Amino acid sequence: MSNTAPNRILGLLLVLPALAVIVLLFVVPLASSVIGAFETGDGFGLDNFAKAFELYTSDIIFTVVIVSISTVLIGLLSVAIGGYLVLGENPRAVAILRWLYRWPLFIPFIVVGQILRTFLAKNGLMNNILIEAGLITPLQAVSFLDWRGIVIAFVWKQTPFVALLVSGAMSALDRSTIEAARNLGSSRLRILFEIIVPQVATTMMVGLVLSFVTMMSVLSVPLMINAQSPTMITADIAFRINAYGDYGVANALGLISLVASGCVGWFYLRQTMKERA
Amino acid sequence: MSVEEFLRVDDVVVGYGSSDILKSLSLSIRKGEFVALLGSSGCGKTTLLRAIAGFARPKSGAIHVNGKDVTLLPPDKRGMALVFQSYALWPHMTVAQNIGYGLKLRGMARADITRRVEELQDLLGLAGLGQRKPGALSGGQRQRVALGRALAIDPEILLLDEPLSNLDARIRLKVRHDISALQKRLGITAVHVTHDREEAMVMADRIVIMENGNIAQQGAPEEVFNRPASPFVAAFMGAENMIQLRGTVGGGHVKIDSSATNREAVLPLDGRALSDGVYEARFRAEGAHLLVNDGAADAADAGLDLVGHVEAASYPGGTWRHSVRVGDEILLVDSPQPVAQGEAVRVRIPAKNLFLFNLGGSFSRPRQSSLNEGGAARVLEASHA
Repeated sequence: MSNTAPNRILGLLLVLPALAVIVLLFVVPLASSVIGAFETGDGFGLDNFAKAFELYTSDIIFTVVIVSISTVLIGLLSVAIGGYLVLGENPRAVAILRWLYRWPLFIPFIVVGQILRTFLAKNGLMNNILIEAGLITPLQAVSFLDWRGIVIAFVWKQTPFVALLVSGAMSALDRSTIEAARNLGSSRLRILFEIIVPQVATTMMVGLVLSFVTMMSVLSVPLMINAQSPTMITADIAFRINAYGDYGVANALGLISLVASGCVGWFYLRQTMKERA
Repeated sequence: MSVEEFLRVDDVVVGYGSSDILKSLSLSIRKGEFVALLGSSGCGKTTLLRAIAGFARPKSGAIHVNGKDVTLLPPDKRGMALVFQSYALWPHMTVAQNIGYGLKLRGMARADITRRVEELQDLLGLAGLGQRKPGALSGGQRQRVALGRALAIDPEILLLDEPLSNLDARIRLKVRHDISALQKRLGITAVHVTHDREEAMVMADRIVIMENGNIAQQGAPEEVFNRPASPFVAAFMGAENMIQLRGTVGGGHVKIDSSATNREAVLPLDGRALSDGVYEARFRAEGAHLLVNDGAADAADAGLDLVGHVEAASYPGGTWRHSVRVGDEILLVDSPQPVAQGEAVRVRIPAKNLFLFNLGGSFSRPRQSSLNEGGAARVLEASHA
């Protein structure tokens, strides 16, 4: 018993540096932001939230919808890519796809925004190609630099990340579970959705949740592609701080996007807990 | 094509790149027959099964089922079902869903699927487990689910890829009988891949022994066991004791010359294709008798006598197993009574238990090919033979 007290102090001393880093760099700033969201001119209240919802409700909905659409598209594309890598019967096509699909992983969001801005604009590369090819007339050319541009940028950038996780999980599956289905007469599409995807669902969920949270926090893409209203919450936060020095509303908006990400994270945690049980 | 012939493999070559795993292999299987493909790992037995199933495309040759060429057909159009070594059950589906999946693919009505799945569960002793996931089953139960899934689609041919190798030894003995009884009852044609000699002997009507992508010998279990066609087959069927002898052939007999380690013997040829020269002789531990050297001379045609002395004895159960030094060789010989270490003995091998093969002229024997290396050590572990 006499040993316990000094031991406890020694133990605390050992974790103190790590604990201090977490407290100073993570807990304190987060707490001050959360508290800041409730700080008004005269004490604490919900004024910042009232103002945030009054000014930015459409942006909040816009953000959640855009990120959700992107997440769904990323899921579909990564299943398609992973599925082809596992089930594809043309070895050369599989090798090319395996080599190609990872490239966007190494390109920063801001560069993605810039690339797509020049590509998707009304007089951008995409429309020029379509006009040259005679598929559309110059009058029909439309700019994709709105919500569609953001979705394209997000999907373009995040699909490789999820596809990397999903195809890794797929190729780690017992191949004979696929052959057993083929033996019984299952088509490749049915094998993909009835045999393979259910077995890699957890991995895919992890990838999609991480993607969702990443996309919620991207500022460069909405600024580069869609500098108009409605836009994403991140752009609003930057605007509140840079233009008005209004940290209260910015903090409130931050807390709102934290709650949105938190919902997805909670969903993921519940799923993994259920599986462990 | 004979009337009985059901599955025919003609000169099939399977390989990856320049190396061929199956080298122009031909095999014919009757309807309702249970054939075991037996061989050590890497001999091509699983590749042959996968070629029959449609998962390995032959470079050349053809596979016929009931007279119809199926060589280029996809796996599901061949009327075959494969049971995988790992069982390959789908972990996200219940037992009933696993068994019924093939029926669902065939567009069978849900009520009919339920009925058929229940039938199979009863047949395989899985009643009441339908709603469990494979993860909650024992190895033996999983194996039966895999079998049920294969049988559900009423295949004409059942292909079994080492289905028992992941089971405990005790369960394996029971499942062997279960599978062959079921196969007889359903009258289904079965091809079973195994590396377990006893399993093949017990289960199969015919054993096909494979070596390096070719068939080394095929025949009924007792035929392959008692009349191995080559040293490889003899060794694979348990005749691991090996010695070299010199002899001459004449008048329906083979005369074995006496040497430092053996007495002269005259043995009936009995269908052996032998010529004068050096022989590789093989026999099983249980196929020889151990006689304490009392000097009494027997008739020379009683069998071959080797002279040596006992180096060690162990009791694996039933009989005593002795390792006997004969010249440079150590041979394993069974005897009902233990013989003391160092005792001079004769090892008598009756003519019918002695497998003789001509050795390609040279007297030098490649040591590394001897399966008897380290024989003394093997005596000491309680042998499972």
